[in-house]
Amino acid sequence: MGWLSSDKSAVSAPEASQDGGYIAPDRSARQMCWDGRDSFFQCLERNGIVDSVKEDEKAKKMCSPELKEFEKHCASSWVTYFKKRRVMEYQRDMTIKKLSQEGATGMDMTGNGSMAAPASR
Amino acid sequence: MAAPLRTSLRIAETSICRRCAGQPTRRAMSSITQPRKPDIRSRSSGITSPPRHFSSTPSHPYKSVEEAKSRYKSGPFSWQAGILFLFAGVGLTAYFRYEKARMGRARIAEANKGIGRPLVGGPFVLTDHDGKEFTEKDLKGKYSLVYFGFTHCPDICPEELDKMAGMIDLVKAKHGNSLKPVFISCDPARDTPEVIRRYLAEFHPDILGMTGTWEQVKEVCKAYRVYFSTPADVKPGQDYLVDHSIYFYLMDPDGDFVEAIGRNFSVDAAAKVINDHVADWKGKIDKS
Repeated sequence: MGWLSSDKSAVSAPEASQDGGYIAPDRSARQMCWDGRDSFFQCLERNGIVDSVKEDEKAKKMCSPELKEFEKHCASSWVTYFKKRRVMEYQRDMTIKKLSQEGATGMDMTGNGSMAAPASR
Repeated sequence: MAAPLRTSLRIAETSICRRCAGQPTRRAMSSITQPRKPDIRSRSSGITSPPRHFSSTPSHPYKSVEEAKSRYKSGPFSWQAGILFLFAGVGLTAYFRYEKARMGRARIAEANKGIGRPLVGGPFVLTDHDGKEFTEKDLKGKYSLVYFGFTHCPDICPEELDKMAGMIDLVKAKHGNSLKPVFISCDPARDTPEVIRRYLAEFHPDILGMTGTWEQVKEVCKAYRVYFSTPADVKPGQDYLVDHSIYFYLMDPDGDFVEAIGRNFSVDAAAKVINDHVADWKGKIDKS
């Protein structure tokens, strides 16, 4: 679990609110985190890494500066979440690709139907 | 074995005989009526000499042969009749389409009302982002759009809340202040009223944030059938994520569940769903 122990100075101490809660990242902080994530993922793309949790050693070796930026601007739970989500989305895209090769057609899910489609998370 | 067969044969015989017996009488009847027919015809033709076609219109309504011919060519149709036909057709089609869509929405709204205990929604007690108590009764009077989330949400909640802001503006533009948007936190440990107020201010000033104790939040999530995975005991400042369902729940002015709007809906599509339901509402809507 190397990415947990690496330095995360920017988001290490969550800011407490006056009534005992913890202030969430605001719009600009989120944007900085997402930018860090995007540049890290672009580096993974260049190096052919899909799962940066499993291939942590390789990702660290190839994309060290990007990963440092990513971890600097995002909470570690977000970092893990985004890494896992990338794998999930890759698998989803692969499944869709496989299904469309087998002749399946996509469903219209843009909300023109009256019933909402299931979604989670 | 033989006796019933014989009786059945006898029955058949008698029925045949009955038929035979009927025929000569019918023939006899027709032979009686037939010779009378020419008699009647001759009598009627004797009274009315010009041939009549049983129609009230005069037989020669046209001034000239040409006029009659041109009228005959176009038949009973004229361009006025054609246009009337087209307009009526278009009008009826549009009306039926509209009615069909309205009936569909009414069916969804009615089906989701349930009998007795509502399927989604119900009593809850929470604290709004100004520190005031908020219960399900405060949802009544307007349509309400309820969203569950948490402020430390990485990407989906912020995207959805931006969409919610878009929906609010579109509904407001069409129906005024008839929608109350509500954000309920699934993460009461970190999301205190102050945190939620600061968080929501970045999305839309109309969204009212809610939080409560862990028990209260668990109850409201249960009422709205929201998957709730927040741990009961988190250490202060702990970094974690919360799993939750991502639907917008549309509730009517009675506080009853109308429809769930999923993440697949675009801002425009979702706003249309809400606007249509608001337009369908027969009772009063508080627009203050």
